[in-house]
Formats: sequence, structure tokens, C-alpha cells
Amino acid sequence: MLKGRVWKFGNNIDTDQIYPGKYLPLTDKKEMARHSMEGVPEAEKFIENVKSGDIIVAGKNFGCGSSREHAVITIKGVGVGCIIAESFASIFYRNAINLGLPVIECPDVKLIKEGDYIIVDPAKGEIINPDKNESYKGLPLSGLELEIIKAEGLLNYLKKHG
Amino acid sequence: MTIIERILSNKVGREVHIGERIWVPLDLVTMRDFGGPNAILEYKENFGDAPLFDPAKVAITFDLHIPPRNEKVARNQQICREFAKATGARLFDINQGIGQHILWEHGMVQEGDAIIGTDSHMNLLGAFGAFASGVGTTDIVAGMRYGKFWYRVPKTIKIKLRGKSKKFVGAKDVILWVLKNLGTDGAINRAVEFSGDIIEPIGVTGRITLASMVTELSGEIGFFQSTVHSLQSTVEYEKVYEFDVSDISPQIACPHSPDNVKDVKDIAGTPIDQVFIGSCTNGRYEDLEQAAKILKGRKIKTRLIIVPASTKVAQEALKHGLYEIFFDAGAVVVNPGCSLCTTGHPGILAPGERMVSTSNRNFIGKLGKGGEIWLASPQTAAASAIRGEITEPGTLC
Repeated sequence: MLKGRVWKFGNNIDTDQIYPGKYLPLTDKKEMARHSMEGVPEAEKFIENVKSGDIIVAGKNFGCGSSREHAVITIKGVGVGCIIAESFASIFYRNAINLGLPVIECPDVKLIKEGDYIIVDPAKGEIINPDKNESYKGLPLSGLELEIIKAEGLLNYLKKHG
Repeated sequence: MTIIERILSNKVGREVHIGERIWVPLDLVTMRDFGGPNAILEYKENFGDAPLFDPAKVAITFDLHIPPRNEKVARNQQICREFAKATGARLFDINQGIGQHILWEHGMVQEGDAIIGTDSHMNLLGAFGAFASGVGTTDIVAGMRYGKFWYRVPKTIKIKLRGKSKKFVGAKDVILWVLKNLGTDGAINRAVEFSGDIIEPIGVTGRITLASMVTELSGEIGFFQSTVHSLQSTVEYEKVYEFDVSDISPQIACPHSPDNVKDVKDIAGTPIDQVFIGSCTNGRYEDLEQAAKILKGRKIKTRLIIVPASTKVAQEALKHGLYEIFFDAGAVVVNPGCSLCTTGHPGILAPGERMVSTSNRNFIGKLGKGGEIWLASPQTAAASAIRGEITEPGTLC
């Protein structure tokens, strides 16, 4: 179970908004995390207040654009524990799982508001909003995806299981 | 079964189903001069000197920064060369062209193959009936060592392209029309199957154009029913879209989104500063030939940069006199590669400049801060270069 406060973003948040291309040469993960979501209008509020375990909730096509894994690394770097979106760009979705970050597709993201406290069960795809007494049905992660996340990434998983 | 289900079932050795996560054995793992060096460094960090799963099935293609423009890029290419030498991976150096195109030309892409690469337009290999996917560094590192990748079997949508296209309307106009109608998330996480009267006449070159821009629809990959035999009666598509291509006139995607598409005639006369003909979407011989037919005997009024997709394409163009037509018209012809699809290559726009491009993306800042990119067919691009303004090719006389 993942629990945290919601940061809400819109549709088509591309990898250049998540992690601007000008920071691609950075390799230190802490330094990379400082520029997380820097391309969105609400960037300053996010980067100053985001806490470990917080959850990003977004609209359609989250992570579209380039195949850069920096976009996942920077979001993980600030401690975000999960991303829920109406849909994800395929490459971003893969990269997130491959780097151990749970991503859940859910059609009801409009009902979740910024600042809501939610509880997410990635295995069931279930999202609970206790303060509003609501729950939303997302797409559960598969057994394989959960195992890759548990191993903290694809390479660790393959080193163990081949 | 849809085409993607059939290809993946064959690869896996059992029937696969939509939504299922599967391990796909790979026939080819490829990386480029951009993306490749990171994957190599990460491979070494994780696996040291451990051998590749199959050196004959790992390829490195240099297509972005060729020849290298600075020391950093030169060093990155050196890392790739050293790795290829040490591991036996196949290397295509600076003299070949765009990765997907040269891999196909060298017989490394076969119908039914499963391929991953560090290029978001890897999926254009669907034009040849192969399954191919653009991926991030981690997938490439894992693929090089273990020869497999995990995949979520996608749903398929069908796009029927009925009728005969008008003169000066080609595959690019058709796919821009589709983008206008479906939007940039029109095929999100979906495979696409194209069918209809135009699939045969547009040839391999046109099918590459359609397949490459499935990426702009956020789709996984595009296939063609004429290239992969299909038992249509047993196929269930999530959605079927039908377009009559005889309705379509030349199309252009205005800044800054590939679905911001208008009829060329509605914005004709808009002044431009540069034209680019090439890219993985429109850089084949037939694309250059269409441009040459319009440029022949005419002089351009704006900068025109022409880039063949591969050396093989360039040789064919040279043999058939296309270079002479291009030079006579006043064009610059650049060595084969990705060229003006990225800021990595000479040809960047100054702030406020407009470029008509035959490539596939027109995002803000893609070719220099403040420059605008307008996506069109080789014919519209050539006609626009002649007038120095956006021009419908049929209006030149």
C-alpha cells in the first residue's frame, strides 16, 4: 500500500516539462532531483513542498516526448512514491517500471484533487480517498511489474531471475 | 488475431492476449550515437565484461551527430566503437545514414522480427512487418545482456484509407490528415493497422512515412495488411476509423504540434526562411524524386537543405541525376543521417525563422529557440522552397 498527498497536473505533461533537456548532462541524482517538474507552471510550489511518499496525479499522456529516463529518475529523486494518470506515454510507463516506480492508469483522475490524501494498492489498481469516502478503480499492475518494482528495477530483477 | 498479437505469439511460442505482460525474445537490440554511450556505460557498470546475449543481434548506428561536431560527441562515438570492437556488436559508422533505414537495407530487419532501439521512431520498421519499439536505456542494457524485453500486449485500432488520392497528395498528406482527425493521443498505447486502396500505390516509401508517424499519434507501432497476411474475419479491433483519401488536399502541420494540421491552400503565402527535405519519415529515394520533379529547371528563393536517409539512397539519387537538379536549383545537399530533426546538427534556425520540414515533429524549440517548424510532404516542401513561401505544389506553373 502506498499513501500520500496528491500533486495534481494536467494533460500531456511531456518529458521536457518533467525534466528540461538542458539538464541532461547532469549525472548526480540529488542534483537531478532539484529540477523535478521544472517545466510546469506550478514548478516552484512543487519543488519547495513535495515530500517523500507524495503522489502525482495527472491527466492524459503523462510522460510523452523523448525516451529520457531522467524524467523518472528526477520524480523518484524527490521521493514521489507513485504516479496515477488517465494514460501514460508507453516509453515513460516502461521506464517507470524499469526503474522501480509504480504507475497506475485510472480513468477517474478528475475526481482526485490537489492536496487529497490517498491510499493506493498497485496490485489491485485500487485508489482510496478516505476523507471523501470515495474509491476509484485503476488498472492493476501485473505480477511481473510488481516483481520488477519490488526488485527496485529491471536490471536487479533480471540479475536475480535471469 | 491482430497482426501484433500474431507476431508476438510467434515470438513467444504460444498465443498471447491483449493486456498480458510477456517476455519477448529479441532479434535485434540497437542503439545510436546519442543514447548508446549511456547504455554502454551502464552495461559495463552492471555486467562488467560479460558477453552480449548474441553479438550478431546487437547493432550501433551513428545517425545523429555525423560527422561529430565537438569533442564530447567524438568521445561518445569513440565509446561506441571501442565497445563494438570488444563485444563483437555490429557498428555502422558515420558514413551510413539513419539507423532503421540502414538496418533494413543491410538485411538485419525481417518480417516477424522483434526489435528494440533507442529511437522513438524505431517503430517505423512496422512498415516491413517487424515489431519494433523505442525504449529507454535500461531496456537496452537488459536486452543486450539477456536478449529479451517485457511488453504489455496492446489493443489494435484500424485505419482504413479508401479511395484514390489527388495529384500532389502523398502518404505524408494522408498521415497529417489522420493526425488532424485523431489528435496526438489518437492511438495512445495502441497498435495501428492500416488498410485500404492506397497501401499498395504508396509503396514501401509511403508505408515508412505512415508507420513513422504512428509515434506522433502516441501509438505503439503501425502495420499494413498488404505486407502481413491477415485473416481479417477473425480480427477484433478496438476501433475502426475510415477516411476517404480522395477528399484530401495537400496538408501541413503548423507550429507547435503535429496535429495542428491545415490545408496548405488555406495558409499559402506565409513567408518561410528554410526548407528541410529528409528524415526517417521522408528521406527515401522516392521522396527525393518527388521533390526533384518539382525543383527541376527551377530556382529556389529560400534555403533548402536536402538529406538522403542513407548512403544507398544518396547513391541512387546521384545515379539518376537528382543531385544535379538539387544543386542547379540552389539546394544544399548534406551527408545521409537524421540531420535537421534535432538541434544536434548544423542547420539550426535563428529566432523567429520559419522552416517547412518533411520530418515528423514540430515541437517548440526543437530546432533552436524561437524557430518555427511546419511539417509537410516533400512536394509541398519543394514547392515552398521555390516561392520562398508556403505553397501548394499544384499551383506552380
